[in-house]
Amino acid sequence: MAGETGEHGGGGFNIHPMDQFMVEPLFGGTEVNWYTPTNATLWLALTVVAVSLLMVVGARGRALVPSRAQSAAEVTYGFVRKMVEDIAGKEGMKYFPYIFTIFLFILFANLLALIPTSFSTTSHIAVTAVLALAVFVTVTAIGFVKHGVGFFKLFWVSSAPTLALRLVLAVIEMISYFVRPLSHSLRLMGNLMAGHAVLKVFAGFAGALGIGAIIPIVAITAVYGLELLVAVIQAYVFTILTVVYLNDALHPGH
Amino acid sequence: MSEDPFSERLKRLEDRISAAKASRAEPVSRVGAKYTQGSLAWRMVTELVAGMLLGLGVGWGLDWLFGTRPVFLVLFVLLGFAAGIRVMMRTAAEVRKGKGEGALLRASQAETGPARPDHE
Repeated sequence: MAGETGEHGGGGFNIHPMDQFMVEPLFGGTEVNWYTPTNATLWLALTVVAVSLLMVVGARGRALVPSRAQSAAEVTYGFVRKMVEDIAGKEGMKYFPYIFTIFLFILFANLLALIPTSFSTTSHIAVTAVLALAVFVTVTAIGFVKHGVGFFKLFWVSSAPTLALRLVLAVIEMISYFVRPLSHSLRLMGNLMAGHAVLKVFAGFAGALGIGAIIPIVAITAVYGLELLVAVIQAYVFTILTVVYLNDALHPGH
Repeated sequence: MSEDPFSERLKRLEDRISAAKASRAEPVSRVGAKYTQGSLAWRMVTELVAGMLLGLGVGWGLDWLFGTRPVFLVLFVLLGFAAGIRVMMRTAAEVRKGKGEGALLRASQAETGPARPDHE
């Protein structure tokens, strides 16, 4: 995230807003293989640790009068549970553990990315695409299990008058089915990456302006607040859409 | 002791229980609904763009496969655009009917009582 660019102040603008997204090996070296522990690996692991701290360690007491950590965990749980019930009804509650896991993971990944000098994992299409693909595959599998081959009726607009038109519409429907995972992953990645790049650009201004740096620093503070909001909202939006897609698979035919 | 006073007491108890339940009903999710409208707008925009991107990609791929650029490219960009609009309109319909993400908007509008929208 927006670390200070103080080391190369002076001499014009030294702005490299995209450098923060570079995946680098943790323990030296330059090559990144699939098994190399990188900063991405580290922050993904830290996300899991943070989620575990809240939900496993924090809620361990199971006290009737909850501690602070436990009540935070309970509020989060209740919030997501309510959303799933609102959208997908009781039927959707079967998939609540998965949905809740997704929500917590993205929420904490987004929030951890806001720590200065940390690495924003969810600003990488690789991370968000895997998350969206997992949802896509799950939802499609549920659709097929629940409705068998009838699930293909989703692509066949039988109300269209001629066969040729139906074929064209089938192609359109097919594309629109694949639009969802794409927009699902693009949205999260785009929001995170744009926000963090903006922070970095402002940080670069601050390095170049000397005493006038007070203006970009105020701007950074404001944008940081906005990013905090975006981090939470994007996790929420990703989760909502997961539930919406799930609901559509449970009740196809629109 | 006749049955009457007993059933009356039972009824009073039931009334009290239901009253207590009503007062303890969780308030409708407000936090999320506040941002639902914004997220809906975002959702529609990205769906439109993603449709076009997908059409572009598929068209490009088919052309690369058959060496017929720009036939499929043009065709599939248009189809992808149509698909994007299709998804967007479906999202809009969802909101109108109060289904899907629209259910959250409806839940926020219902002021009193546990307004659990009936799905389907």
